Amino acid sequence: MSKRIAVLVFPGTNSEDETTRLLRDCGGDAHLVHWSRAQTLPSYDAYVLPGGFAYEDRIRAGAIAAHDAAMDHVIAAAQEGKLVLGICNGAQILLEAGLVPGTGEIRRPTAAFTKNAPAPHFVCAHVHVKLRVDPTRSAMTAALPRDAVIPAWTANGEGRLAASAEHLHELEAGSHVAFVYAHEDGSVDDSASPNQSALGVAGLVNREGNVLALMPHPERDAWTFNHPDRRRGDAMLATSGGAVFFRSFVEALQRT
Amino acid sequence: MRRCNNRAALRERRLAEIAGVALRSDELARIRDRLGREPSAVELHAFDAQWSEHCSYKSSRHLLKKLPTSGTAVVLGPAEDSGILHLGEWKGERYGIVIAHESHNHPSQVVPFEGAATGIGGIVRDVLCMGAELIAVADPLRFGRIEDPHSHQRYVAQGVVDGISAYGNAIGVPNIAGDLYFDERFDDNCLVNVVAMGIVKESDVIHSYAPPGADGWDIVLVGKATDPSGFGGASFSSLTLDAQDEDSNKGAVQVPDPFLKSVIMRASYRVFRFLREQGLTVGFKDLGAGGIMGCSAEIVSAGGYGARIDLDAVNVAIEGMRPEVIAVGETQERLLWVVPPTVTPELLRIYNDEYTLPEIAYNARATRIGSVTAEKRYVLTHGGQSVMDVDIEFLTGSIRDELPFGELPARDVTSERPLVTGVQLDELIERVLAHPDVCSRAPLYRRYDSVVRGCTVIPRGAAGAGVLAPVPGSPLGVALAVAGNPRYSHINVRLAAEHAVYEAVRKVVATGARAIGLTDCLNFGNPRKVDHYSELVAAIDGLARASEHFHTPFVSGNVSLYNESAGGRAIPGSAIVACVGVLNDLATVVTMPLKSAGSVLYLIGAPQGALGGSVLLDVLGRSDEHLPRIDYETIAAQHDLMYEATQARLFRSARAIGNGGLLTALCEAAFATMRKGRAVVGAQIDDAFQWTHGTVGDLEACFGESGGFVVEVAADDVESFEGLADEVSGVYEIGVTIDRPMLVVDDQAFDLHRLQEIWSAPLREVYP
Repeated sequence: MSKRIAVLVFPGTNSEDETTRLLRDCGGDAHLVHWSRAQTLPSYDAYVLPGGFAYEDRIRAGAIAAHDAAMDHVIAAAQEGKLVLGICNGAQILLEAGLVPGTGEIRRPTAAFTKNAPAPHFVCAHVHVKLRVDPTRSAMTAALPRDAVIPAWTANGEGRLAASAEHLHELEAGSHVAFVYAHEDGSVDDSASPNQSALGVAGLVNREGNVLALMPHPERDAWTFNHPDRRRGDAMLATSGGAVFFRSFVEALQRT
Repeated sequence: MRRCNNRAALRERRLAEIAGVALRSDELARIRDRLGREPSAVELHAFDAQWSEHCSYKSSRHLLKKLPTSGTAVVLGPAEDSGILHLGEWKGERYGIVIAHESHNHPSQVVPFEGAATGIGGIVRDVLCMGAELIAVADPLRFGRIEDPHSHQRYVAQGVVDGISAYGNAIGVPNIAGDLYFDERFDDNCLVNVVAMGIVKESDVIHSYAPPGADGWDIVLVGKATDPSGFGGASFSSLTLDAQDEDSNKGAVQVPDPFLKSVIMRASYRVFRFLREQGLTVGFKDLGAGGIMGCSAEIVSAGGYGARIDLDAVNVAIEGMRPEVIAVGETQERLLWVVPPTVTPELLRIYNDEYTLPEIAYNARATRIGSVTAEKRYVLTHGGQSVMDVDIEFLTGSIRDELPFGELPARDVTSERPLVTGVQLDELIERVLAHPDVCSRAPLYRRYDSVVRGCTVIPRGAAGAGVLAPVPGSPLGVALAVAGNPRYSHINVRLAAEHAVYEAVRKVVATGARAIGLTDCLNFGNPRKVDHYSELVAAIDGLARASEHFHTPFVSGNVSLYNESAGGRAIPGSAIVACVGVLNDLATVVTMPLKSAGSVLYLIGAPQGALGGSVLLDVLGRSDEHLPRIDYETIAAQHDLMYEATQARLFRSARAIGNGGLLTALCEAAFATMRKGRAVVGAQIDDAFQWTHGTVGDLEACFGESGGFVVEVAADDVESFEGLADEVSGVYEIGVTIDRPMLVVDDQAFDLHRLQEIWSAPLREVYP
């Protein structure tokens, strides 16, 4: 029986449709689950928290959603070892819930994605993220090549990782920094990051590798029509682009 | 007798002043005659809203009839909240593009953030209520002088962009097109237009009228709890702005709630699915000007019915609101359904239980507030009493003002066109690129989510038009562009309107799309002033002429009048146009960035000497009344060439030429490739004299704004392209692409990195 993926929708979530579509196009059995139907969550095998502005990003992006009753189920599932992926607002929620990096207590965040810098504004820009850990560090990245560079869009007002210096050291030492911002050719420098994120972090993974928080959106640069200048053949789903990341996620689920 | 009349007129005027309505005394007299009694306070406010210019188009409707509105691509012309154009077929289904165009000028001048945000909120509902899913927004903006960081103009320019960003990003609708001009004549009246686009299967369109057989059906209000915000909004936007009244004006602006809207949109999509499954035909309409009264009266009267509404059933934010405030207040985030009573429980369940509206915002919900009646009366009750009872056709029917207008005076046209001489290219290119109407818009549009929904093909800023894949999985594409140059309209409002259509069409054509239809927003001054009204009349003539020539009918639009300050200073009459284009196969889409060295560059579109309204003359501090001519026959052949060459995939890149002319277009195409990790592509242009054969001067050729395209053709495709272009006039081989980061013009070379910095810098300070 195919493994079922819940794409969790909070009030204010806005990227659920394309996320679900890409999961399905990559072979995943993905279903939208709305906040008012959260009691069905335990029956799923994996969870994807898509982008948006859950609960209007009140207090801090992701802070209210992290305390929603629906997250009780996601937290329990993560602790059972099920795969949990958060993208953009979903990533913010996973940090606020304490699931990523997962070095502290639940719902006592040790790091946060917070207001962009130098200007504290929403930024929409095309970026690339580079895999900074061994692909086998997380089941979700296992199908990616070493040092994979993935195109994506950043679109948020609060995407800059902030944490204490000691905690940042802990994140590096514990190989929690799964993805950093990079240039298209894979080179990494300060100018690659759109928001001065600490350590250039674009994505963090928990210790066990089953919970991944990724700020940019690979699902917005995943079909051939999303990047007409890199067109290869006529297949609608790009062989490169953000789809490779989602394929890796779906393959990981099918292996479990 | 005469004295008596005067006294009556005085009394009516006082009544209007006391109640704070904008009705004129002759309009009040008509109401009293028809009712045979004094109108109640609720009726007075209802007529005030319904007969305002904003709702009734009383001084423009008969003029708008001149616009072409039919054609093979038209699914629904300008009759309802949005128009619909035929996109194409996929898997046996016909798909339509729903499009609407609005202005939120007056509110944005007073409270920019809320004004601009509610502008998006309102237009999105216009598209939603056709049964469509929202796929894009676009925003043409016109601001005053913003050099002074402490000026109200700077505050407006920043607040508007923040409002668009906050609202559009939150609801998850990508912003894919727009334009921006600065002009001192917008100091007292900014223009904030907004376009929204949706996708719908043509068989699933929901109309803004009660369908046949709706007698006795339920009227269901959905959304935010009605509050006193936005009371008097319709009549506010039909008056001139007086700075002294700023505080009272602020109360007329609505309060946006994109968070609630995001949930209402998704809940409504869910309702659409339910209706499709049940095969039901119902009515759905946005609450805009005139609030509950305006929306409910229009949706039932459009179906030939009346309505009976109980104001006590309306979900309100505070107790004790006066009935006229509940009836005509313009609280945001509300829509209205007309459905059979058997459907009402499921409708309420979806909004209130599945999508938990009451938990999203205080007392937000779907609730039944009345019913459709066969009798053509519009009846409101409050506290068990009738507070309004009028003939519905009198309320919603044709109030019309045919105002005096004249031929616009011929402007002094200098007999000798001042030749641009004594200035050098190297001085000019930097000043043109740094001009406020040319420099990079990236600091602004980086704040807009251009890619949410995952369907974006060409995002905001990457070309003159945005392109989307509106039906994921199909090869169908849709392009959207806006245009309207205020420097042109100051010179000749009729020709400026024609240029607005030409420019919007041109931007769409540059992506490889076929232009199929238009929307417009007519932003003008006070129609009761002959010279302002004459501009409106002339602009509509210009739009009609261009629309006929391009075979692009208007399917929706909006009129915004009284854009003048208390001092009587009006804006440049601005016909702002949006153009929709379709691509049958997205694989043929053409993008703007230069692709590789060694390609051949062509100019399609003969340069003209006319520099009136150009950035070049503005930079030089000169003026000239000659606008570029529009030779429709030649342009049609050029657009056909563009389409054929794109279908044959002969273009590596293409760019429509606009503000700042050919060199600006080339620079922007080169800047777009300049990203770290990519090979740089520059351009080398021959001495213009060689390819224009001296028909125009070099500077006119380099910076003139007569339109056209610059296209990049791979060396291998030159023969094929020249074969296609053989019979087309106005096609010039002008140069080649090179592998250095340089723009070379004849014997002068410019560093593209330096030019890019000059072009990128100006708006960074305003939008850090």
